[in-house]
Amino acid sequence: MGEEVKRVKRIKAEGKVVMDYSILTKFIYEKDSHTIDFYREKSSGYKALSKVLTMNPETIIDEVKKSNLRGRGGAGFPTGIKWSLRSKDNRPKYLVCNGDEGEPGTFKDRLLLSRLPHNLIEGMIIAAYALSTHIGYVYLRGEFAKEYRVLEAAIKEAYAARFLGKDILGSSFSFDLYLYRGAGAYICGEETGLLNSLEGKSGRPRIKPPYPAQFGVFGMPTCVNNVETFAVVPWIIREGAEAFANIGTEKSGGSRLFSVSGHITHPGVYELPLTVTLRELIDKCGGVRDGKKLKAVIPGGASSAILTHQEIDVAMDFDSLVKAGTMAGSGAVIVLDETVCIVEAASIILKFFEHESCGQCSQCREGSHWLARIFHRIERGEGTTSDLNLIPEICSNMAGQTICAFADAVTGPALSAIKKFKKEFEEHVFLKGCPFKINNGPNPNGEKELSNVF
Amino acid sequence: MSFNNQNIVVNKRRMYINYCSDKKPLENLEDQENLENQENQENQKNRPLKNKINIDGKEIEFLPGDTIMQAAERGGIAHKIPRYCYHPGLPIAGSCRMCNVEIEKASKLMTACSTPASNGMVVHTNTSKVQKACTGVMEFLLTNHPLDCPVCDQAGECELQEYNYEYGPGTSRFSETKRVFTNATTKRLSDKITLNMNRCINCERCIRFEETITKSYELVMLNRSWEKELTLSNYESDENDKDDEDKMPTKGLTSSYQGCLADICPVGALTFNDFRFQKRVWFLNRQPSICDACSKGCNIEVHFENDIIYRYTPIFNEKVNRHWMCDRGRISYHDVEDSGRITMPFMNTIDSHLHSVEWMTVLSYLKSTLAIAKKVLIILGTDSTCEEAKLFINRIPSLSKGEVKVCFYNGTGDVSSSKDDEKIDYLLQMKDQTANTKGLELLGIPPLETSYVPDSTDNTDSTDSDVVIYFRSGRAGVGGRGGLELKLKSSASLFLWGVFYKKELDKAALKQIVAIIPGLMTVEKSGTFINCDSLSQSFTSAITHKGAALPADVIFQIMILENRSAIRS
Repeated sequence: MGEEVKRVKRIKAEGKVVMDYSILTKFIYEKDSHTIDFYREKSSGYKALSKVLTMNPETIIDEVKKSNLRGRGGAGFPTGIKWSLRSKDNRPKYLVCNGDEGEPGTFKDRLLLSRLPHNLIEGMIIAAYALSTHIGYVYLRGEFAKEYRVLEAAIKEAYAARFLGKDILGSSFSFDLYLYRGAGAYICGEETGLLNSLEGKSGRPRIKPPYPAQFGVFGMPTCVNNVETFAVVPWIIREGAEAFANIGTEKSGGSRLFSVSGHITHPGVYELPLTVTLRELIDKCGGVRDGKKLKAVIPGGASSAILTHQEIDVAMDFDSLVKAGTMAGSGAVIVLDETVCIVEAASIILKFFEHESCGQCSQCREGSHWLARIFHRIERGEGTTSDLNLIPEICSNMAGQTICAFADAVTGPALSAIKKFKKEFEEHVFLKGCPFKINNGPNPNGEKELSNVF
Repeated sequence: MSFNNQNIVVNKRRMYINYCSDKKPLENLEDQENLENQENQENQKNRPLKNKINIDGKEIEFLPGDTIMQAAERGGIAHKIPRYCYHPGLPIAGSCRMCNVEIEKASKLMTACSTPASNGMVVHTNTSKVQKACTGVMEFLLTNHPLDCPVCDQAGECELQEYNYEYGPGTSRFSETKRVFTNATTKRLSDKITLNMNRCINCERCIRFEETITKSYELVMLNRSWEKELTLSNYESDENDKDDEDKMPTKGLTSSYQGCLADICPVGALTFNDFRFQKRVWFLNRQPSICDACSKGCNIEVHFENDIIYRYTPIFNEKVNRHWMCDRGRISYHDVEDSGRITMPFMNTIDSHLHSVEWMTVLSYLKSTLAIAKKVLIILGTDSTCEEAKLFINRIPSLSKGEVKVCFYNGTGDVSSSKDDEKIDYLLQMKDQTANTKGLELLGIPPLETSYVPDSTDNTDSTDSDVVIYFRSGRAGVGGRGGLELKLKSSASLFLWGVFYKKELDKAALKQIVAIIPGLMTVEKSGTFINCDSLSQSFTSAITHKGAALPADVIFQIMILENRSAIRS
């Protein structure tokens, strides 16, 4: 377990709330945490790397397997298994870090990139050594300008300290790391869409199979992992896989960064073990803002199904959330209090998806547009009762039948909203308007805000 | 004629242009292999186990690497699987999601076009689950489709219509405003292609065609999601009016295969201007034929009504043109109904004017001229069929007692024989713009001596023929540089026989011409062409000629019969 895991405590730093113990967030708000000197002195940085370079790649992969680390990007695929599926032929292999953090409500990778870039770099070098890869790319979201500069400086530092480049630390292993900025598409967070974008094409997901492990970027075997996944790897190597596995549940080890936002007293990035329940998480963040009642929670970013306030006694690990009918996603917890109109919230989420669909598959392209229009219409008070029956049918035609999981991401919030808050939808239809706006009197900015959205 | 080539008679079975495939049943492939190496029978036993897939109860053998759709093509049951983005000649996109099939032991529906077939797979193409999914896709595709079938040129051969009839929901539940691209409702992508983006279903066949077949990369999808818009990638904006998006780009589509874009477009988004608003497709009769615009001999389907041709479309032939056809060949049908085409027998009088005469007048004149000629020269254009060439070789000696010499002349570009022939692009087009140069060579006919050509450097005087007959079907440039002028001795009489145009008859040419005997174009007659790859292809007449022209064999019959009757009398 090590000394780093202490009792969970909440402190305030730079106006945001973090847990002060931990794997990743221990030094996150300290001054100069993004520099290599700080990383090497205070958080024993690059020690794991020198340990790794004497190890057999197979042992490293076994270690990661034992740690039960699951991908932090959204799908939660076991990282060790992903690494062991690597191609063993002589083709050049690539390592790609998915830094296209576009899921609405998620901001954990941004924090890691700007505050702890060396965690990521060290994790990538270790992964590269384990996968015998010599070229790595960090695909950064286009909007991350500051993070790009920080990471660029960090890579320069790492090159200067001979952690990157030829013959790292005197071993015969070489690794080059390149930065690539996206052009602003949510779908490039999907790994094959990201690979297409990295190749300079438009970011559209590819048909799978072949999987990136066999046919990735430039047609070569590629391993794609999330920023957070790479960032925790040095800790696993340093402290041991068991220590990491012990923190989490049986199937998913370690702690996880949760980006908590919405109507919460202390929004921010929290690092918590995966055993924590959603209710505990909300309590740790200071509860619902202004003493209001909780109405609903979106537990895994905008693409996950909405949970009502009765359903929040669910553990935040991958499997429990799937059982509860939603998903862990990127760990973005959006808290909605009683003043929120669910139709409006879903309408805004769907507007986002309508705009971000890559437009390849018929269902996704037309369906996301159709759903967004219907939700917008209901919110404006122009909905009909037949719309309420139509929405689940459109969703059932969309889900699970497309190249990537985007269509499922669209149907998640739409379907859960209309299933769990059907009364609210019916109210909209019968009152011919949004009850929240009608009951609370005219909202001077409400109509304007909506017209900006649409 | 003895050729070692397979004689392909164009299949008369009506094939839908988007449905023909290059995937053959494996049994046939094996037969061919067996014929080729019969001694390898022992190896047959050691052959790896046959891969078999069961599609709707039919066992089909497939090659490793085939997808389910390709396996279905091998079994001849690909029509059971609906598709939009899949085209056998293009790479797989897997984006329309229409080709859903149910695979036993698979949790969800899979797309037939992109799922690899595996041994022992059991596939169902028409379960209720598949039907429901296809209906769902149809409904999505139709949400933003304008449904302007009454004014759409694709109506009748539109895949959206066909599959909607089979799978589509009868009514629409879409009550929102439809997507309209005001700038791209009728947008000229070039002088050949018109785009109506509102009708587009985003299958992106056109983009993949440009990327993989012509490699011109001229089309791209702008934007994403439901706002995707097909655009020219070579847009060159004018500095002065950058805001004017309606303006036609200075450089439109430039490829020579733009007609194929309209062919492969499953809906009416891309239409070929030449055929646009000319005819409803259900009125058209279809007859397979061979394109005679170059020596490639692309397999085409002639679409016509009341013996008026409206368009040519390519037919799949793996050995010749695959699915494609060039634009020059596609619009070459206009020559058939050219207003300047001579379709009446003409004779030249002393005042150097052509006068229309009766058939018997010109034929008896030709016969009598031949009968007294000492030296007869017959110049066959390389666009004449093998059958016509043999007619001339066999029949002229029975009409003339003089010395008969037969030679061929090409006259297109710088081609004089098949040795000069070469590809002028990466796909189909050949330098030789006549269809049968190889065929006439294989018949043993020599090329025309260069001393007859006016602008050649050869000045040897061998032009001593009394009677010269030019025969062609309208493509070969008989005479120098596409004109009709030849170096002949002044007393020689020149007969033009076949397809000629008024614009070719300039004053210099008229001095030599004695008579014009009208003949038939390729689509009006039957015959055999041998293409640049020595592949012999036969065809039957597609349309009936509407003028007074007669086939060459009929003319010979008339002349020979008349001969006999003269003997009798």
